[in-house]
Amino acid sequence: MVAVKSVFAPYIYVCTRMRVRKAKLIPREEYMRMLNMSLPEITRIIQETQYKQEIDELSSVFSGIDLIEVALSWNLAKEYQKILEITPGNLKQFTQSYLRRWDIQNVLTILRGKMQGEKVGKIKEILVPAGSLDRVMLDRLLAEDSPEKIIDVLKGNRIYPVLSREYPVTKESGSFSRMENELYKQFFSEIIAEAESGLKGGKQFLDFIRFDIDIRNIKTLFRLRADTFEEDARDMYIAGGVFSAADFANLNTVRDQAEFIELLKAKIRNSLLISLLDELKSEKAIRDVESRLTRVQLEQMESLSKRNPFSIHPILVYLEKKKYEVFNLRALARGKESKLPSERIAEYLVV
Amino acid sequence: MVDVNMTLEMVEASQVGMKALAAAIAVGSTGIAAALAEMAIGSAAVGATAENKDVFGLVLLLTVIPETIVIFGLVVALLLIF
Repeated sequence: MVAVKSVFAPYIYVCTRMRVRKAKLIPREEYMRMLNMSLPEITRIIQETQYKQEIDELSSVFSGIDLIEVALSWNLAKEYQKILEITPGNLKQFTQSYLRRWDIQNVLTILRGKMQGEKVGKIKEILVPAGSLDRVMLDRLLAEDSPEKIIDVLKGNRIYPVLSREYPVTKESGSFSRMENELYKQFFSEIIAEAESGLKGGKQFLDFIRFDIDIRNIKTLFRLRADTFEEDARDMYIAGGVFSAADFANLNTVRDQAEFIELLKAKIRNSLLISLLDELKSEKAIRDVESRLTRVQLEQMESLSKRNPFSIHPILVYLEKKKYEVFNLRALARGKESKLPSERIAEYLVV
Repeated sequence: MVDVNMTLEMVEASQVGMKALAAAIAVGSTGIAAALAEMAIGSAAVGATAENKDVFGLVLLLTVIPETIVIFGLVVALLLIF
């Protein structure tokens, strides 16, 4: 009885908090309303929601689009750190593993920014210190001048071996895509190993990872089809999902859209994904395909969180939805700043 | 199995003991059941209140609903004893 109490109650507590937080996220109607507003009006609306504290704190230093960008990044990082504080036991470990993907994004943003000679302040605006590399560490990385020195500072970190191995190739080609692929491959193999290590709740985490990998692989396949130049598909393949490396390479060689979709469907068992693939038989813009795949991923995560109400799923659903809320607000603000028409901005929103 | 050597007093005393035992089981088991139910509801209630203080009154009400289980147990126990 004591064992049941000590494990179960904190899970219920955290999962309920995540559900309440999820309910507080900006609803679809609000985005539609914001599409017809100007940038200052959007800033005001954002200020009235969960971002009030950040906007108030930063409004003396930044203004306009910069204020929104920085406030959103700060809020996202703060929210993620807060969730890490309240999650118990294995859930904390899984959440930490999930958030490690931000390390990859932050390090790559810094490296790309430095290579292109961007100002430190500009790079800092878009960093989200939500992973294992905190704000202090990211500042240390930003203070370094050359990519080599940045990689050296990361010595001892999980991603260091891949960074040091891939950097010479990246330097030569000038493109970070291969390094990025390798980092994500390492990341996914590590979290799969963690989920399979026998920890309680690992199976549910594994379900999420596998579906995430499938969606990523399918997105990559669609992107490769939309691309005009030939690339080695095996470099972009992520292992761990339903596709084997051979399946992935085979699918990439199929040119006919209907045949490609049929072959994809034969491999997949998820009903939501199958019905989406049916709709994609007619050619569609890659951006549209990607946002629909993202929506299916969120729907699937939502249904998993209902099936396993006190597991890692409700936490992951909230983390993902929060991420997309920030992406949406950023897209809205950026779109308005660039004076894009509302219909065009709406295409970029994941709601 | 009936013990033929038992006196009437012994049988009566045994019956009282059995009733007391049954009452104890009625209150004890329903107490545990109510505790388990309240553990889950209470955790969720605290979680919900932490995010939104306005729901405190409502969740307090929901938390005490499983108390009815233990009240049923208590009533059964009282009926058994008196």
